[in-house]
Amino acid sequence: MNSIQKLLSSDESIISSHEVSLVQGWMRSSKHLIILEKSRDLKALLVASEGVDYALPIDSDFKFDIDCESKSKNAGDVFISITYQKNKLLFEMLPVSKTNAFINELLKAMEHQSKRKSAGDYSWLKKYSKKTDLTVENQGVVMDARTCTVPSENRAVFVCTCAALGKFVILGIEVLTFCWTYDSVIKYQMSIREQDYTYIQGIQVFIGTWNVNGQSPSCDLSDWLTTTVDPPHIYAIGFQELDLSKEAFLFNETLKEDEWLRAVTKSLHPGAAYQKICLVRLVGMMLIVFVEENLAQHVHNVASDTVGTGIMGKLGNKGGVAIRLDLHTTSLCFVNSHLAAHTEEFERRNQDFHDIDSRIAFTGFLPPKSIKDHDQIYWLGDLNYRITDLDLTKVKNLINAGKYQTILEHDQLTRQHAKGNVFLGYKEGAIHFRPTYKYDVGTDDWDSSEKNRAPAWCDRVLYKGDGIRQQVDYKSVPSLKISDHKPVMSLFNSDIRVIDAVRYRKVHEEVMKKLDKLENEFLPQVMVDNTEVVFDTLRFLEAQNKTLIIANTGQVPVQFEFIKKFDDSNYCKDWLHIEPYMGFILPGEKCDVKLEVYVDKRCASKMNSGQDKIYDILVLHLEGGKDLFITVTGSYERSVFGCSIETLVQLNVPLRDVALGKLIELESSKDSGTLSNTSYSVPKEIWFLVDHLYRHGLKQQNLFEHPGLPSEILLIRNWLDTGSSDPLPGSVHSVAESLLLLLESTAEPLIPYNMHPACLTASTSYVQAKQLIASLPLCSRNVYLYLCSFLQELLSHAEENRLDAKTIATLFGQIFLRDPPRSRDPSARGKSQTQTQARRKANFVYHFLVNDFSELIAPVNHPG
Amino acid sequence: MAQIWLKDRVDSAFITQTVCLDDVTIRFEIWDTAGQERYHTLAPMYYRNAQAAIIVYDITNQDTFGRAKSWVKELQRMAPPNIVIALAGNKADLPTSRRCVEYSEGEAYAEENGLLFMETSAKTAMNVNEIFVEIAKKLPKKEVNNGQGGRRLVETAEAPKTSNCCK
Repeated sequence: MNSIQKLLSSDESIISSHEVSLVQGWMRSSKHLIILEKSRDLKALLVASEGVDYALPIDSDFKFDIDCESKSKNAGDVFISITYQKNKLLFEMLPVSKTNAFINELLKAMEHQSKRKSAGDYSWLKKYSKKTDLTVENQGVVMDARTCTVPSENRAVFVCTCAALGKFVILGIEVLTFCWTYDSVIKYQMSIREQDYTYIQGIQVFIGTWNVNGQSPSCDLSDWLTTTVDPPHIYAIGFQELDLSKEAFLFNETLKEDEWLRAVTKSLHPGAAYQKICLVRLVGMMLIVFVEENLAQHVHNVASDTVGTGIMGKLGNKGGVAIRLDLHTTSLCFVNSHLAAHTEEFERRNQDFHDIDSRIAFTGFLPPKSIKDHDQIYWLGDLNYRITDLDLTKVKNLINAGKYQTILEHDQLTRQHAKGNVFLGYKEGAIHFRPTYKYDVGTDDWDSSEKNRAPAWCDRVLYKGDGIRQQVDYKSVPSLKISDHKPVMSLFNSDIRVIDAVRYRKVHEEVMKKLDKLENEFLPQVMVDNTEVVFDTLRFLEAQNKTLIIANTGQVPVQFEFIKKFDDSNYCKDWLHIEPYMGFILPGEKCDVKLEVYVDKRCASKMNSGQDKIYDILVLHLEGGKDLFITVTGSYERSVFGCSIETLVQLNVPLRDVALGKLIELESSKDSGTLSNTSYSVPKEIWFLVDHLYRHGLKQQNLFEHPGLPSEILLIRNWLDTGSSDPLPGSVHSVAESLLLLLESTAEPLIPYNMHPACLTASTSYVQAKQLIASLPLCSRNVYLYLCSFLQELLSHAEENRLDAKTIATLFGQIFLRDPPRSRDPSARGKSQTQTQARRKANFVYHFLVNDFSELIAPVNHPG
Repeated sequence: MAQIWLKDRVDSAFITQTVCLDDVTIRFEIWDTAGQERYHTLAPMYYRNAQAAIIVYDITNQDTFGRAKSWVKELQRMAPPNIVIALAGNKADLPTSRRCVEYSEGEAYAEENGLLFMETSAKTAMNVNEIFVEIAKKLPKKEVNNGQGGRRLVETAEAPKTSNCCK
């Protein structure tokens, strides 16, 4: 923008600018559209990114369309295509108010241009860009600057790459929000390839015009309408002064419309059947278009409009009526006009032409189409231009001598046309017929009235458009004598583009395939170095790590995330941790993802019981793309940590010597309460740990509060699992922590979850608490009382170890009445509630630390 | 036609394909889940929102036909009730001597279960576009008009050891 501002001359200014996306195939690039103005008159549009890609004059070659069809589908973005001469660019705009404002400015600029009578000088645009049109040779590198997008819900990653010397360089990355409108892209691609699926078909177009001077059709019209051997494909027949009555003028109602329509219909070429496509009338000006029946099915988007330029510049005694249609893919426009009368009023006639040209607007299109937006324009009518500066008698003599050329040099239309004052860009064929005005009605004699009007070629046909190949006939028909004008007819050989259905389908499919291919190429792609992650034998509390390398092998940035499967609460099992579990990788780059497996007190019991194993399938989702599956497997060496008390009391040998099947069987039958005679009253592992503390730790300060060493805890784990005969390794603190860990790793706490509410309620009553403990399953009760006895013993050495009953009660309250495992997401439980519960748990345990509960022990003494 | 089957696939491939049906253009978003049994449990993630499913078996392997049938049963039980299911007997380009599942067998099974049926060849692209066109025709009108969006699914029950299956 700054560089453009520097180029502005003092009489040039920027009216409006807007940020848009230029859509090229599947690519898009960010551009600025800038409307420039020079001398408060000429307007131009700049298409700019870093520099100015195009500087387009907003002149008669400039057109734009809003793609409203696709707009409705995606209720979002606005697509506009800008056409300059025959070349097109497609832009996408966000549906914001600024877009509306910008389009309004563009419309205003175009309206301003259409009111100009002459083409402006746009050489001043050259300083902005050498490209003042959109021709292919000018597209060069700029057209290669492309943007790729990844269609996905509402977000797309937006990368700008620039193809220079065949090398792709990333210029920058930007994330935009927009919806993808597929249809607009297809439509645009199809319009670019129109030549590939259309062929040219020649048709004959008959144009007729007649000022009927308010007469009714009392004669046969075949002389006028059927002049050829072969029937024309299209008829466009215009009348002026159809009805001169006040009713017609004031109420726009006339019976003549039907009369003439019937007369015309009757006299159309008998060699073909015709369908009336459209009839439009404003007061005395009427235009009817017929299309040969077989061709009529290919006529689409028919529309008409009228413009009055008569009294007050508005009324319909003068003006124009127009019909437009699409025949296959070619757009045709027919205009019938009756311009201002009187010899001296030629400038008024010029003005009428410009008014009609700019004011005719076919609605139903966005923006409405005007006359100039058509491939072929046929303009007919009583244009009322006269012959000036030539003596009347001389004129008549020259006519009789057939020297029309000499008179035509004095024809106002010929002169004004040559000067570029009217019908700019239109052509008219050579005139080899007598002037069509003014005759005595019923004769071929010149006007003999008092006014004695000079002969003139009032009734004319002009045309514009490359497809109008040849004017094969242009003449008047003197044999029709009911009016003071003679009718004029002209026959054209014109080319229209016809869609070849087979080729259309083929091209359509190709476009589709191309877009599919592009879209699929631009889908995110990654390679993962290992999709079967296998861990070595895992042990309790020993973490293992593996790294996964995700490489972006696609052409677009990748947003990846490990996603949840179904209604799982997490994207992986609780013994697995993924870091990072989501991320962003640029093309060609990699991301290391660390997978850590760690079996701790939360998941050990599920491993021991066979409820879970080291096996997980991770779903690695690429946003806007595919999902990759990664399996994580490993074996787990079971430990006494995670075994239930019920199982442990039945193990007479070290855990390492117990068959896996036996362990799972014990774990699954633990609730049946069947204990064999060989069962211990407390698990030997607990006994070993407590016994060790009893012998070495009674006088140890901060016992249970001071943490153990992880390495020592692993040694203690091995010692317990293998049933070693060596002395128990580790410090008393490590032994104390191992004891707590053993109690915490069970599936259920020592006092099962279902008894917790009752225990919390009973926390103020020792009697109730005792009853609850008495109702515990036998082995849990034994372990509970055994541990409490030990803790009483420990507290009896309070002078040395400085422990107090309240602290111990709080700690063991949390162990014996452990909370159910919390999910990873923040618990809903309030903090104060947790504190109240912790206090009640401590109170419950406290009773058993300060009271004698020997009556509970007595009945459970070893039976044997 | 994109050849995107990979040996021992460990992902759910995602591609798009457009099918023209008269004036209507339908975009398929295709999720190809692996036929491998180990990923079976993940398949519902992909078919529970699908409008259509293609179950592919290998006409030279009776076992894959059996697995295709169990996929049909699962989809009929678990997938959205209006899902369009197509059964495709792939590798139809191979010589008759290698055929193990007769055309009539596939056709009869499809008819009993109200499935679209075609024998296809991923190698020669025979009937590949056609099967999508047939599916497009059977999709509810509203979906057709909508033209895009929604996950559509391709299931394949082909033996993992085979290569070059395509959608």
